Amino acid sequence: MVAGGALALVVAGATVLALASRGGTEAWVPLSAEVPANDPLAPPLASGLAVPHPQLLAVRDASTTSSWAPVVRPLRLRAAPSATAAVVARVGVSTPERTANVVLVTGRTRAAADLWVPVRAENVAGWAPRASLGGYESVDTRLEVDTHALTATLLRAGRVVFRAPVGIGTANAPTPTGSFYVRNRLTRYRSPFYGPVAFGTSARSSLTDWPAGGFVGVHGTNRPDLIPGRVSHGCIRLRNADIVALARLMPVGTPIEIR
Amino acid sequence: MRLELSDLDRDGALREAAAALPDETRKDFLLRTLAGGGAALAALVLAEPGRAASKSDVEILNYALVLEYLQAAFYTEAERRGALRTRTARETARVLGAVERAHVRALREALGTAAVARPFFDFGGTTENEPAFIKTAVAFEDLGTAAYKGQAYRIDSPALLAAAISIHSVEARHAAWIRYLAGAPPASSAFDEGKSMPEVRKLVASTGFVVQGPRTKARAEPRFTG
Amino acid sequence: MATRTDTAASRRRFLRLTAAGAGTLTLGSVLAAGVPALGLSGSAQSRDVEVLNYALLLEELTAAFYQQALARAGLSGELREFAQVAGGHEREHVAALRKALGPKAKKAPRFAFGKAVSTPQRFAATAVALEELAVSAYNGQAANVSKPVLVAAASIVSVDARHAAWIRAIQDRRPASQAVDVPKTRREVLREVDATGFVRS
Repeated sequence: MVAGGALALVVAGATVLALASRGGTEAWVPLSAEVPANDPLAPPLASGLAVPHPQLLAVRDASTTSSWAPVVRPLRLRAAPSATAAVVARVGVSTPERTANVVLVTGRTRAAADLWVPVRAENVAGWAPRASLGGYESVDTRLEVDTHALTATLLRAGRVVFRAPVGIGTANAPTPTGSFYVRNRLTRYRSPFYGPVAFGTSARSSLTDWPAGGFVGVHGTNRPDLIPGRVSHGCIRLRNADIVALARLMPVGTPIEIR
Repeated sequence: MRLELSDLDRDGALREAAAALPDETRKDFLLRTLAGGGAALAALVLAEPGRAASKSDVEILNYALVLEYLQAAFYTEAERRGALRTRTARETARVLGAVERAHVRALREALGTAAVARPFFDFGGTTENEPAFIKTAVAFEDLGTAAYKGQAYRIDSPALLAAAISIHSVEARHAAWIRYLAGAPPASSAFDEGKSMPEVRKLVASTGFVVQGPRTKARAEPRFTG
Repeated sequence: MATRTDTAASRRRFLRLTAAGAGTLTLGSVLAAGVPALGLSGSAQSRDVEVLNYALLLEELTAAFYQQALARAGLSGELREFAQVAGGHEREHVAALRKALGPKAKKAPRFAFGKAVSTPQRFAATAVALEELAVSAYNGQAANVSKPVLVAAASIVSVDARHAAWIRAIQDRRPASQAVDVPKTRREVLREVDATGFVRS
């Protein structure tokens, strides 16, 4: 401990001085000698909280952690961190399922006159004004969908924790490839077509004139016999037992790579 | 309403901020959160086996936990966002974040199933803008010290009391350190006063940092392409 | 294990104190009352008195240290300002503890700091050590005192902790990287005090 070390430094200097000046004529009683053997001021000092040693964030964390934020005000996504830069997209506050719309945060905030945050919003990358976003959340999971092997793999902190076969889009309505993210989690809906739980993503299928904008989801199915296969309008389908297992592991905001 | 500290007077500026009451839903939410949720205030075993914590101690621990969640989330986000410019500010976020995260773990472990869940936070730009970061950190650390101090005499368990006092003096160190960085007096008075629970809740509510989480789950029909 | 046996009268006084602060004990109310006036029963009061005298010794030690350093250590700039402010605080701590103890306050011993106040560097190293020692001493006694004394002690220990962080900051050292301040027993603390050789009588 630093305190002990510093006092030791002091002791080395002071004790010599003390010995020199005392000269042996004063009877000096150490203070600690006055403390009785059963010190009434010495109850057990056991603490009621086990406080662990502080741990710095591991460098490794940075590469496997990603952040997302809700959109709290409709925002104009811009090509550069400036209010005069070109608008590349308009992003609203709700998803088609009426949940909060979220964006993936992809880099450091830039401080100009205001704060600008680099984000991926739906299918587009750009800069959002900080004031349009809510609080950041972070996740350490990542979903990788392989359109050749027809698998979905979930990694947490870089380690594989889940893998399952998937059904993806047909040749006419292929599942898009690229970088996306999970936007919402839906349950207790009527249609058995989607299985017990469904995740909305920021990915758009080629059927963009679909009523709700043509977004792609990750969900269960009432046709497990079709999995693995190229069978959907773009969505990523898992067998119901698999989607339930995935739902225990994958939070909203998880980035998705589809290759 | 974001926390603004026009000067770094420990009490004056925060009092000013608290005078403007937050909107009703935010305040209610915060009070619910700080009150410990209500459910499962069961007796719990602390680090020393065989010693159960009183209902009052559980409430105090959960109150402390929310404040530690707040501080830990603030520093962690500041470090992760990577937007602070100076070495000392980054070092502050790194070191203090590690300590506050340790406090969170300790309180969560002590509370077990009685621990309140981590709230959602929106720190506005205060983790991404250095002057705002420093001001907010000063306010948090002074507040943390005052909050622990305000509860110390109410703690039933002597072991818990010893732990709380030992954590609170660390918060005081943090407060002095950050004040030094900010060019403010690290110790402006010979005696630090405590703050009561209602006072602290009001101050935290006035920052607007504790928010309802975004609604990302729903019982709704998927509108995907299928 | 610390026990606090209060008589009915002292419990009433205690409740009056809490009522005055709208549910919280304030330092002002505690110090105004003074420990002897709180009228706690024998063993609790004598323990309070013992802890307060123990605290008083440490505060006298630190106050004298800052005073000596200002006179002899060649301090300037930030270090000087620190010694002035912190020294002032320690003197206020001494005064408050003496007031709380009333006639039960022990007389201050004589101190001599020798080389510890001979240079700014030694001053700074010793200041850190003494403030850290005070923090661990107070923390070690938290469970031993009655509630009003706890309020007073808590108000003092955090200021000493601020001093410790301040002097470290001046030396450009990292902020405290420990999550808790480890408490020390009275015997441990007094052994460290003895080892400094600062106390002469």
